[in-house]
Amino acid sequence: MVRLSDLHPDEAAHLQMRADNMTRIEPGEWITPKPLSESTVAIVSTAGMHRRDDPPFVAGDLSYRIIPAESDFSDLVMTHVSANFDRTAVQDDPNVAFPLDRLRELRDAGEIGGVSNWHYSFMGAMPNPSLFEEAGIEVGRLLAADGVDVALLVPI
Amino acid sequence: MATTSISLVREQSEAVGPTRALWVPFPLGRPLGSASDAEFQRSVVRAALDLLSTQTEPGIVDFPTDAPDVGEQEPWACPLNLAPATGDSFADRLSAEASRFLPWAAETRRRRGRSLFGASGAAPDQQREVVQALGSIADSGDLTDVPDVGIEWAFEMPLLIRHLVDDVRTIYHEALAAQPGSRAPTHDDLNDWIFESTVLGEVIIAIADHLTAAADEQPMLAFIRGFVVPEGRYRDQSSF
Repeated sequence: MVRLSDLHPDEAAHLQMRADNMTRIEPGEWITPKPLSESTVAIVSTAGMHRRDDPPFVAGDLSYRIIPAESDFSDLVMTHVSANFDRTAVQDDPNVAFPLDRLRELRDAGEIGGVSNWHYSFMGAMPNPSLFEEAGIEVGRLLAADGVDVALLVPI
Repeated sequence: MATTSISLVREQSEAVGPTRALWVPFPLGRPLGSASDAEFQRSVVRAALDLLSTQTEPGIVDFPTDAPDVGEQEPWACPLNLAPATGDSFADRLSAEASRFLPWAAETRRRRGRSLFGASGAAPDQQREVVQALGSIADSGDLTDVPDVGIEWAFEMPLLIRHLVDDVRTIYHEALAAQPGSRAPTHDDLNDWIFESTVLGEVIIAIADHLTAAADEQPMLAFIRGFVVPEGRYRDQSSF
């Protein structure tokens, strides 16, 4: 229902303005992975979630937090700065934005090969996403070194 | 390594140009569609992962199904009565209001076994102190010094305000989750309720007014206001 026509006009105008000013990044190199049933999958989220003891996200933050695969949701908080999304769903079930349990289930069912040892969390709300390039390259390198075949990018 | 992604705001994904994106027709804050609906969430994850084998060139593909809890619904009404907001100060009135919600929030925490309360740095048992801190900022208009209520805050001022609001809203949201009524409230339902009928809404707007007054000399404070008040909820002007 994030059709802009369904939103409060001020919020729709804000999101459209962001879209109009975003820098085109262009797709990366086209990579066809091995079959999903053999692929290890990692989550890269922009929901601003992190472990309770990690440094919180601050406005304009370009850094990331690591979320280990064995994380318990009771250890996670969210310090995303935006006031323009509904937190009640994540409060009820973090999988709605960080589907770690769903990946575990797909692995157990043999639909994917494995779940990454590490997942990565950024805070979105960045008018110019290209500023994440340096951190993104680093995370890509770390994921590849950890044997990850597929990164699933999830917004908030 | 290959990437696939979920897209919520199609216009922004089109502007950026992702390698593979699944556009989903869900509200912001719920990219997998529906809380506590594992089967539906799996269907979204599968659809995003399937792009890896079905797509041969970059692009955005639409997920065909609305979330199960979206559609024509009866109007939402808060099932909990608001306490008489006694007291002269925002801090006292907010404390009176929040005290009605704390036991229900505790019920939700017990049921869930977790809480997102604590983004401000507060411990789980420091809810009353967080409420007091937020109310005191509305009363004093002090945007510089962190409230002294015995909490080791995770943020400096003024960004702390944003997370105090979030922590107090979490108490209210958790209380509602214990007594959801006929259906769960949407983002708009919650904002209508908070900004049209609660002391919390008055407190947030009062603090936003303090930020507005100080923004002439410190323009950055207007951005903080945008992090505190959702768009469309601040005095007929943009929150930012």
